[in-house]
Amino acid sequence: MSITRRAPILWLTLRQFRAGRATLLVALFAATPVLFAAIFRWSSETGDAAEFLTNQFLEILAPTILPLATLILATNALGNEIADRTLVYIVLKPVARSRLIVEKFIASALVTALAFTIGLVATWVVASGGSGSGRMLGALLAGTLAGVAAYGALFLLVSLLVPRALLVGIIYVLIWESALARFIPGIKMLSVRHFAQSVFVRLLDNPAVRLDRALQLSSATIVLAVLVIAALALATLRLRQMNIP
Amino acid sequence: MVEVEQQAEEQRPVAGFVPPDGPRTIEVTEVSKWYGDVVAVSNVSFAIGPGVTGLLGPNGAGKSTILKMLAGLLTPSMGTVRVLGEPVRANPGLYRRVGLVPEQEVVYPFLTGREFVRLNAILQRLPDPEAAAAAAIARVEMTAAADRPVGGYSKGMRQRIKVAAALVHEPEVLILDEPLTGTDPLQRLQLIKLIRSLGAEGRTVIVSSHILHEVERLADQILVLVNGKLAAAGDYRAIRDKIDEHARRVRVRADDARTLAAALIRLPALESVRVDGDAVLIETGDVRDLYRAVPKVARELGIRLYEVTALDDSLASVFAYVTAR
Repeated sequence: MSITRRAPILWLTLRQFRAGRATLLVALFAATPVLFAAIFRWSSETGDAAEFLTNQFLEILAPTILPLATLILATNALGNEIADRTLVYIVLKPVARSRLIVEKFIASALVTALAFTIGLVATWVVASGGSGSGRMLGALLAGTLAGVAAYGALFLLVSLLVPRALLVGIIYVLIWESALARFIPGIKMLSVRHFAQSVFVRLLDNPAVRLDRALQLSSATIVLAVLVIAALALATLRLRQMNIP
Repeated sequence: MVEVEQQAEEQRPVAGFVPPDGPRTIEVTEVSKWYGDVVAVSNVSFAIGPGVTGLLGPNGAGKSTILKMLAGLLTPSMGTVRVLGEPVRANPGLYRRVGLVPEQEVVYPFLTGREFVRLNAILQRLPDPEAAAAAAIARVEMTAAADRPVGGYSKGMRQRIKVAAALVHEPEVLILDEPLTGTDPLQRLQLIKLIRSLGAEGRTVIVSSHILHEVERLADQILVLVNGKLAAAGDYRAIRDKIDEHARRVRVRADDARTLAAALIRLPALESVRVDGDAVLIETGDVRDLYRAVPKVARELGIRLYEVTALDDSLASVFAYVTAR
């Protein structure tokens, strides 16, 4: 059975992404680490690739690039349909609201994850000259995918709660995730970046790499899973109750 | 039913026009909807059964709000809406039996017409979405353009593909919000024929419009909505007769307005005729007689007509007249 019949909302959303510019923006975000890796390799032939990749993930990718890129498609998935009023074509169907939300979430997470997987593999190859450790690549991908899932669910919910979700999301990323969570310990524990960073650090399992108050892999995974499920459940509830103009 | 009911000053809900023993597929009971201080719909009640019912009212009268409440898109601030005996809000299962053609023109521009209708068929869980989509597309006479992207469609084609999408699962209740907007005369004729045939099949079809003569061709029963209140409900002819009792203003643009005005002045129901540039401004007590006479007179005199426009037809003045009575 084709994806059109098995998951029609997912298929529709992927077609929407293919037709729009948002996917291009996500691809640009995903390509940024490759650019940084190229600059690193060009400026320092003897530099430590593992250290570069670790710092890049912990300081730039997890707190800023990843949430901003995820924000674009997650708010686009339903937000655009609310804005242009095409949401009516899918909500007036005998389809459970939870299914609608989950397929929208999968579509945005899938495209963002795919873009970052390609970007991170390229980054890893460029930074390490193709001889880097597989553990590093695995940790990068796992930390990134965890971040994509959590940020994706959170921003999908935001797109159903506020009219200018993209703007609200940018403010959240730049103030909460990138600035406050960096310096204030209490906020750090309430930021998605910290859980994604914990996944990365635990999978890397390198004593030289330390993250303040890092969670165990199992704890970080459970918290992220609960966050995703809670955000999707709230989004479902919101979609059930909201008036659709 | 031929009675015309006017909403009294105390805003008594106007009764619907379902025959006493007929099925009530749509029941709206004392429904109001407001947004902050703005009241969009005020204490409206009606019940309708199978057949085509027109929802008539000027822009901003609350037609779309009512239809959105019927479709379950909006929650009434007060009152209840039931379709096929069930509440519509938070009841997705009901959409197997209900179809909506929304007012907005936007349809996913990146899909072809066939993909759009098939998507609707799949979401309706039809056993053979391809066949159902093909049949619905054929019914709105869009087969030739079905494999082109919707983004390249004209307004009228978009309207027809939306109707196909709403029809694909053969709903018992069909809600159409201004379905004739943007259609050319031929498309309009095709859609009117289609809508009438849907009513004749025993479906409940409710169609909104702000154009009086459009509704005349669509529906026998109408609801007239003015300023969010139900002003009249009943048989179209009875309401139209009431409306036609007052003088109506019509503008006729022609290549020889003076000669045309001189010829038209002899018509019995004419109250005034004035020439303004290439236009004749006419006030008449019998607009239907005028519509019949103008082309006939122009043809006899060899005058070319550019435009015949009812200046107050379908506008707030007509509805204000209905409410004022």
